[in-house]
Amino acid sequence: MKWTRRKFGTFAGAVGLAALRARAARSQANGRVVVIGGGIGGATVARYLAASVATLDLTLIEPKQRYTTCFFSNFYLAGLRSLESLTHGYEALARQYGIKVIHDTAAAIDPVAKTVGLAGGAKLKYDRAVVAPGIAFKFGTIEGYDEAATQIIPHAWNAGPQTKLLRQQLESMEDGGVFVIVAPPDPFRCPPGPYERAGLVAYYFKQFKPRSKIVILDAKDSFFEQDLFEDAWNRHYPGMIEWLPAQFTGGVKSVDVKTRTIKTAGETFNASVANIIPPQVAGELAQRAGLTDQSGWCPIDPITFESKLQPGIHVVGDAISGGQMPKSAFATNSQAKICAFAIAAALTGSEPTAPHLFNTCFTILAPNDAVTDSITFKSVAGSIKINDIFISQVGESDELRREGARAADGWYEAFTHDVFG
Amino acid sequence: MTSEFCRAASASSIRQIIMLSIAAGLFVFIADRTIAANDNRGSQLAAMCASCHRLDGSDKGIPSIVGLDKERLAGAMAAFKSGERSSQIMHAVALSLSDGEIAALAEYLAQPIGTKRR
Repeated sequence: MKWTRRKFGTFAGAVGLAALRARAARSQANGRVVVIGGGIGGATVARYLAASVATLDLTLIEPKQRYTTCFFSNFYLAGLRSLESLTHGYEALARQYGIKVIHDTAAAIDPVAKTVGLAGGAKLKYDRAVVAPGIAFKFGTIEGYDEAATQIIPHAWNAGPQTKLLRQQLESMEDGGVFVIVAPPDPFRCPPGPYERAGLVAYYFKQFKPRSKIVILDAKDSFFEQDLFEDAWNRHYPGMIEWLPAQFTGGVKSVDVKTRTIKTAGETFNASVANIIPPQVAGELAQRAGLTDQSGWCPIDPITFESKLQPGIHVVGDAISGGQMPKSAFATNSQAKICAFAIAAALTGSEPTAPHLFNTCFTILAPNDAVTDSITFKSVAGSIKINDIFISQVGESDELRREGARAADGWYEAFTHDVFG
Repeated sequence: MTSEFCRAASASSIRQIIMLSIAAGLFVFIADRTIAANDNRGSQLAAMCASCHRLDGSDKGIPSIVGLDKERLAGAMAAFKSGERSSQIMHAVALSLSDGEIAALAEYLAQPIGTKRR
């Protein structure tokens, strides 16, 4: 056989192609995945699935055009950030990752036919579905506080119009007013959140309405990082914040929305501005799709995040029964990556690496005073347990806390880039 | 390879090149599968880092960790693990990783800035 230049080129090309095919083999699969919910969980799953399996037919369903993060929204309440700076679109996910983003509402999931029905009428087939519905509020546990009441007394626990309403009310409040926060029972989204909110609103009051007070009526008798918060409140806002545990008040029983009167078992509080954060359960779609158990949350396999109730449907984020894993954006992002790798492995037949679940939260006590918690988790007997936990301590140097605050800003930027591209 | 080089090459040297190409091709084929597996492991572990560190080389308050010498990266992780370097978050992360995982991670992150990462 006489080798011509042309044949040589063809042969060399073929060898090269074989190598390329080996590389491509791990990332090819003809699967259809429908991700429902474009919050932190859904967006992260979609992004990491697209990066892992280039040939997937991947759809992300989210009714909103833009998503405002709940984390860092306490900065907005303090007047330190705009809501726009906390708002993100889906353009990069669609353009850079080829994800089909459909702005519609998932009305129903048929786990037998494996279809997702959209409010707009379309029906999407899936091989795997991911549901990331966030939280829903258990209205009715506090008499007088229902969905309509949130238009007067906001929960501001989903960011956007509710956060805006609360900020407007705080801005129009007169100096000397009382801001009442009703904090929810466990488990709830963002364990340090209500207390961070108290501190950052106190920061705003201290500058503009220094005679004002903040009362926290808690459904619990203790809360996450309590020593850090109480120390910071004494240092930064002495005498301004009063925390009342359930054992003192008997818990919040009812509210008169018109007069902003909040009644506990034994006392009545007249609020100038109120923020009621109700008890929570998994988002509504999870409940309708049969993904929740009697706890109101979604039981999942902690290795794959596949539902223990509906095979082929995975759930990530605040909606899951997370064992000892908190309901936080960071935890959600961590779960979503593990879930994406598990789905990619199932569709391509490859082995996923050992999952590492992690959470860290930057909690802002004052603009130059931030603390962190860092927790690693392991799966034990089908549940998520804490492996190691490290939390900031009372009495740390000002420099360390300032560094924490600087890192928090950098984290927000990198984290939202990781999620939304 | 330029066309000038091809014109100048004799038939025997072309055969040599072909044999080398086949060997190289096979080597690439086998090596690629190993690299793919390690790269996959490294990229999945690096996903954990991407929750705080941007992997495109930019630094907006959290240091960039890509494009650095892999020994230096692995050394830094060992120092965070032992507590020799202080950082609460990095101590927790490093403690959760085995030495093999740190090596795979360092290998992946050491690729030059501009490498397509997630």
